[in-house]
Amino acid sequence: MRLTVDGVALEVPPGTTVLEAARSAGLWVPTLCFDDRLAPFGACRVCLVGVEGARGPVASCTTHCREGMVVHTQDALAGRIARNVVELVLSELPAPPAAHTELAQVAARLGLDATGGPAAQRWAGAVHEQSHDHRHPYLAFQHELCISCGRCVRACDEVQGAFALTATGRGFHANVTAGLGHGFAESSCVSCGACADTCPTDAITERFLVELEETR
Amino acid sequence: MTRDPRFDVTTTTTCGYCGVGCRLEAHQHGGHIVSISPALDGPANRGHTCLKGRFAHQFTRSRDRLTAPFVREHGTLRLASWDEALDRVASEFQRIKAEHGPDAIAGLASARGTNEDAWAMQRVMRAAIGTHNIDNCSRVCHSPTSFGLRKSVGLSGCSGSFDDIEHADVLLIVGSNATAAHPVAGARMKQAALAGAKIITVDPRRNDLSDVGALHCGLRPGTNAAFLNGLTHVLIRDGLVDREFVRSRVEGFEGLADLVAYLTPDVTEELTGVPAADVVRAAHIYGEARTGSIAWGLGVTEQLYGSECVQMLCNLALLTGKIGRAGCALLPMRGQNNVQGVSDVGALPDTYSTYRSVGDDATARLFEERWGVPLRRERGLKLPEMIDAALAGKLKAMWICGYDIGQSDPDSAKVEAALANLEFLVVQDIFENLTSREAHVLLPAASFLEKTGTFTNAERRIQLVQAAAAPPGSAKTDLEIFSLVSERLGHPLPYRGPEDVMLEIGALTPAFAGVTYERIGRGGLQWPVAADGTDTPMLYAESFALPGGKGRLAALPFKPPGDEASEQYPLILVTGRRLEHYNVGTMTRRTGNLELLSHDVLEIHPDDAAAHGIADGALVEVRSRNGSIQLGAHVTDRIEAGHVFTAFHFPEVRTNLLIGQSADINTSCPEYKVVAVAVTPVAVHAGAARGHAVVA
Repeated sequence: MRLTVDGVALEVPPGTTVLEAARSAGLWVPTLCFDDRLAPFGACRVCLVGVEGARGPVASCTTHCREGMVVHTQDALAGRIARNVVELVLSELPAPPAAHTELAQVAARLGLDATGGPAAQRWAGAVHEQSHDHRHPYLAFQHELCISCGRCVRACDEVQGAFALTATGRGFHANVTAGLGHGFAESSCVSCGACADTCPTDAITERFLVELEETR
Repeated sequence: MTRDPRFDVTTTTTCGYCGVGCRLEAHQHGGHIVSISPALDGPANRGHTCLKGRFAHQFTRSRDRLTAPFVREHGTLRLASWDEALDRVASEFQRIKAEHGPDAIAGLASARGTNEDAWAMQRVMRAAIGTHNIDNCSRVCHSPTSFGLRKSVGLSGCSGSFDDIEHADVLLIVGSNATAAHPVAGARMKQAALAGAKIITVDPRRNDLSDVGALHCGLRPGTNAAFLNGLTHVLIRDGLVDREFVRSRVEGFEGLADLVAYLTPDVTEELTGVPAADVVRAAHIYGEARTGSIAWGLGVTEQLYGSECVQMLCNLALLTGKIGRAGCALLPMRGQNNVQGVSDVGALPDTYSTYRSVGDDATARLFEERWGVPLRRERGLKLPEMIDAALAGKLKAMWICGYDIGQSDPDSAKVEAALANLEFLVVQDIFENLTSREAHVLLPAASFLEKTGTFTNAERRIQLVQAAAAPPGSAKTDLEIFSLVSERLGHPLPYRGPEDVMLEIGALTPAFAGVTYERIGRGGLQWPVAADGTDTPMLYAESFALPGGKGRLAALPFKPPGDEASEQYPLILVTGRRLEHYNVGTMTRRTGNLELLSHDVLEIHPDDAAAHGIADGALVEVRSRNGSIQLGAHVTDRIEAGHVFTAFHFPEVRTNLLIGQSADINTSCPEYKVVAVAVTPVAVHAGAARGHAVVA
């Protein structure tokens, strides 16, 4: 089927998402809860794009291409919403995300000052308290960095199939836990590390890498 | 991929653990590998890997890595220079060759090393020393697979790819605990099941895939043949045979139909312990499916008739036309990262590369011309024959690379005696081990993260291995060591580096004709690779690689295994792998994986535990006709009554002391999977740690 993305005419097979179509044209669309290895989730609302004729911006990761669709990845309203979403996410963190994280990279590309500075002063309000779990030989929880994107939970389910991770809590207290909350070792975790691999913030990361950062 | 500021260099390479062949990104900082992540475009792993590939890399910088050569002097090993050690190797080989002939020397190539390493070693053995006494550890794992596949369909390799997993409506998994032994392939199978594929597991022990499967058939160890022939009976009886496929592409149907006529589901139940109704169900699930793949592991091969059971697995695919199209693969779950490749390139006593007989004059002449030396036409010794010859005093020297036969081969006490009986033993490895205790020269080698070359995974995919760190101390790559030794033996190897070796493999091996590192690239090449670089993801779409092009149905009867339970040894021991560790544990025991699993246990069914007075966690003695070991018991109903299970990862336990001499009739692959044992509680004095193994 044929569609136009940012003025580029594309032909894609049925079932292609708008995000896939845009990427195939070499266009960048910000994402946070998306991972190629996982089924599209549509939770973070960062991948919003404008579609002519639609009532408002749509999540490109879960929207399938339709014949004749006209997509604008640079849609002003979509961009504003995405920036607000990322700003809200950043505002709950106790510290700016580390430069290597996907969150920091997305924020930077959206023109947000993730590392502090004048913009950060607008982010008044509660931030997450530090809560670390380093009991596993390889995997570390840094719960204060969790942005509830659900990628770790889905990687555990959809890539490995261990079903060891669960989303817990609501609203500001939403987070992730292994098993019944007693750490990776006491859960059905098989230590594959798919959660750490997909995490966009280091809420789950490798202990070696935490130690490496600390020795810098 | 955005460059990660935490790392100095990131190198894409191929995992050196199991035969799945995950592509990895190895991240280096300050000269060390600090993290490994999966390559998103890895064909087998597709952005995933397991706790071994991802995390178990600390062994590379372990304090006890071998970093310099050692030589034996006055009974003890002392540090030596490379020159001294290599001169000693060359002069001893030359002396022994002069005194006893070249066949008094034997080599074992490592299935952990690269294709290029294995090729170089078999060239040194064949051309520089003059013997075909070269073997590798496929002897003790999938040599029966190679034999069976070559008999039934033609080529010694997977008929398709791991990608067939997602295209299969049914996965028949026999004697393989994939989520533990091949975790990434296992995860793909589990996901396939969650997406609707039907899994049938055939194993004395339930595994993770049984839990998500449509049917688990818990047969008695050693009865695979009865079960597989019983399935064949039902396929034929109930009209589940693809008649057109059998008519046009297969031969041997009548003989097979006659043979299995007596194996009704009731008879099969009697022989295997699998309920007759489940035999029928399994045959119907597999037979009625549009697509189906068969995966098997060492639970099939490591038995007295393992090679015949591989032929019986092929029978199922040939009868139902489930081969040579998407979703229909014969998928042997190869153990080591490169056990496929080391055999493909000819580190075997009877064949040159791609299984061409050393007795074949035309092939031999090709090699003679290229290498400029005469080559023998009689085959060399297989590994078990090497052990016997060493014990008999006929074999005087061995060169063992990256293969701890002291811990992994059957009847460890016999192996130890054989090694002790050698005049000269060279061990080339990354650590000292049970094999190196008797070594006269110890050569420090590079690990898979420190060398360049190629591995071939279980789907025949040749993939690039790139050094992600430098070898420690003065350790050298195997290829460098083989070159230095060969030069001293008067047969310099003409390779400037690993790629030159691959070009020579291609020049002498039609199935590798078009293999270059550039063409391998990031995606790999599945052999056969034509001269123009076209590879072969799927075999047998049109015809089988046998004279006449037809697949061969094998009419082979069920015969009882080499060992059976008796009053004195009432239980059958099956051995295998755990998720956290890898084979003899040389690498994983030197990583955080030891925190995840610090010791091994003997799994025993609650009924057997009660009958033998064994409590969960109690220390037990396991005794076979061959030896005895002690370890903790774990009472579980995951295993069928009558059987016990343990792994062989820990030198403190030395499970293989228990294994006897029974072996596959065609390939000498040891029967690790059927060993009659007695299990008795051990009186433990106060303070002994629970479950910790005691040296037998």
